[in-house]
Amino acid sequence: MPTDSRRVPGPQDSRSPHWYGKHATRQEGDTRPDGRGDHDLRPVYLHAGVVSQATGSAYIEMGQTKVIAAVYGPREIARREEFTMKGRLCCELKFATFACRRRRQHIQDNQEKDGALIVLQALEPAVCLDRFPKSQVDVYITVLQDDGSALAAAITCAAAGLADAGVMMYDIVAGCSVRQCGERQLLDPSVGEELSQEGESAEDHGMVTVGLLPSLNQVSALTLDGHLQQQTAVQAVKTCIGGCQGIYPILKDCLVTSTRKKIPALDPKSSHASTEGQNGQT
Amino acid sequence: MIFCSDTPHLPEVAVTILSTNMAAPRVCVPGERLFSTADCEAGPGTYVHHGYIYSCLAGYMHKRKTEGKELSIVEVIRQKEDAVPRIGSIVTAKVTSVSGRMCKCAITCVERTTLREPFRGLIRKEDVRATEKDRVEMYKCFRPGDIVLARVLSLGDANCYLLSTAENELGVVLALSEAGAQMVPVSWCDMQCPKTGSKEFRKVAKVQLQQE
Amino acid sequence: MSSTLGVLSDAERLFIVHGVQDDLRSDGRACEDYRHVQVETDVVSNTSGSARLRLGNTDILVGVKAEMGEPDPGRPKEGKLEFFVDCSANASPEFEGRGGEELAIEVSNALQRIFNSRSTLDLTALCIIPEGQCWVLYVDVLVLECGGNLFDAVSLAVKAALFNTRIPTVVVTADDEGQQEIELSDDPYDVKRLDVDNVPLIVTLSKIGHRHVVDASWEEELCSLARLTVGVTQKGTIAGLNKEGSGSLDPESIYEMIESGKKVGMVLNSRLKEALEKEENSKREKIGFLG
Repeated sequence: MPTDSRRVPGPQDSRSPHWYGKHATRQEGDTRPDGRGDHDLRPVYLHAGVVSQATGSAYIEMGQTKVIAAVYGPREIARREEFTMKGRLCCELKFATFACRRRRQHIQDNQEKDGALIVLQALEPAVCLDRFPKSQVDVYITVLQDDGSALAAAITCAAAGLADAGVMMYDIVAGCSVRQCGERQLLDPSVGEELSQEGESAEDHGMVTVGLLPSLNQVSALTLDGHLQQQTAVQAVKTCIGGCQGIYPILKDCLVTSTRKKIPALDPKSSHASTEGQNGQT
Repeated sequence: MIFCSDTPHLPEVAVTILSTNMAAPRVCVPGERLFSTADCEAGPGTYVHHGYIYSCLAGYMHKRKTEGKELSIVEVIRQKEDAVPRIGSIVTAKVTSVSGRMCKCAITCVERTTLREPFRGLIRKEDVRATEKDRVEMYKCFRPGDIVLARVLSLGDANCYLLSTAENELGVVLALSEAGAQMVPVSWCDMQCPKTGSKEFRKVAKVQLQQE
Repeated sequence: MSSTLGVLSDAERLFIVHGVQDDLRSDGRACEDYRHVQVETDVVSNTSGSARLRLGNTDILVGVKAEMGEPDPGRPKEGKLEFFVDCSANASPEFEGRGGEELAIEVSNALQRIFNSRSTLDLTALCIIPEGQCWVLYVDVLVLECGGNLFDAVSLAVKAALFNTRIPTVVVTADDEGQQEIELSDDPYDVKRLDVDNVPLIVTLSKIGHRHVVDASWEEELCSLARLTVGVTQKGTIAGLNKEGSGSLDPESIYEMIESGKKVGMVLNSRLKEALEKEENSKREKIGFLG
């Protein structure tokens, strides 16, 4: 594990006191700890345009999970790389050190790198990369608090940030997770449900995350952890897609609001003049 | 303020911001299906997929009628376009270094859009002017710090965009003299310092006022 | 990752896509056919278990080393499994220095994904003293040559190496003061083996045109924008799944791909098991390492 020499690290062998406490076990019943049904989403709050410095940005809350994303660019590719006619999308995912139950390190670990790759591959099919040759768009995502489904929240948030940045996209991306415990499918699980050992011994247990391009009906991200029967896996993916479609109106609503706020309504006539002026010039 | 989640949007809330009258232009988001290609033509900010026009920006939708065409053009407008240099676009650049063969510059504006971060550009000796290309002397055309109008010739290599000033309207528009004063153009290849009266060589642009 | 291996012309691309459409690939295989797999275990003597695998032109060497360490505080009664993937510069000059790191992380995360379920491998068998000592299995994967379908090849090689792994038996005794002591058995043949029946294999399904293929060669990988890596156990359970590449997939085609992944994966599992058992029973003289 590499360490950052510029920071004062915490003691290497410290442990969270949570390990010594009793793990709360969930009571059997039809509802989940927060009173939701199995296929209900948590309340979602999404706001675009929160970082003034960035070209575009977004902030999402799904229950207690809080994620912020900032988009910069299109800008020059910094490192010396090959010439490409297509633009490049770069994605960085970081959990705040205090985001999870255990304290995380400042250096990006493997889980974060894996998450960044999944988010990147979820966004890539949606972005019109050929519209900005030779340039790159950077997406920086920070998970401020992880209360389950952080990856799904990161996908939704990053997509909202990209749209807010005015990056040309074929579609927006909505993310959603499902936790399978035995026969139960819990949509948009909280961290307690993610870590609970319920159903571990059962045939089917696992976690599925899907990123969906809702209006094109294409799946751009799909990751499954755990053991599932083929039928259950397919069913879980379907439930996830349903969840993504539930998030889509919120995403749309948020972008409409932020667009109206960011760009004061253009007078159709003046905008004609400006575009025609441009055409004349080129 | 954003950290309080006391007014969350519940997932069930449906969105109804779809007004088609011209008074309040409709805002659309990427991936929103706008029209069939049978009814309209796709303009900037849109793309066509399976016979339908979709938006690829979060912005205001406009239908525009052009003469001589039957179908009106649909476009989605967000901001002034051209955030990255394209072939043929006019850019504003600041000269950073000059050598015998070329001049390096930092592109700060593309068309009318100011960039947040500069792109690197390069003007080669043979692209400085249209005539007598072999007699060009770079040191008599540009100096570091000059503000230049140029046209993008090609996307160049991985490092630089290739720029050209081989038009009357292109070249140096703003330059400081050795005394530090802003110089006034006197001919297409000279600029004069108002303070000392000395002349310096530049590839001067014949700036034209744009008609609004 | 594909960019490291070369480029294809549009004509070559079209040829491959049309071939896949007609269920006849450029090397004569059908869409759900695997290439010839060669596997050999017990190839490095300094390891607890090792395997070398060739799948077409892909060449993988895996070594498993068992060492003793402390268990995770969250799982005190379990041993640990650590994966390290090294893309050697032999496979491609691009992998020199830190060049192969990105791909290596991708592969080790894929392994982590299929192994992180508790029903994959009985980690409690690796426990020596609860909350005190456990076996840590370091699974080191060395990529010697990249000829497409790296993920499947690595998972096959890892399973073969784990099958071959022998962990020395240790005896824990308590002395008079209640201190626990660990004693290693003197007999080198007194060893414990792992139950690898539930270890999944990765089947990568590459979407080319409107169809998907398994075990894509590197040319085919260049034609495919989206891939699914599916972990499949011997019983046909889906253990880990991930979409890779810059493309997107239709939900319907995902369901189809999962189904054919399961089908191919089950056959692959049983074939590997057969081959490993056959190799173990025939005490063949080993001639050379890469021979």
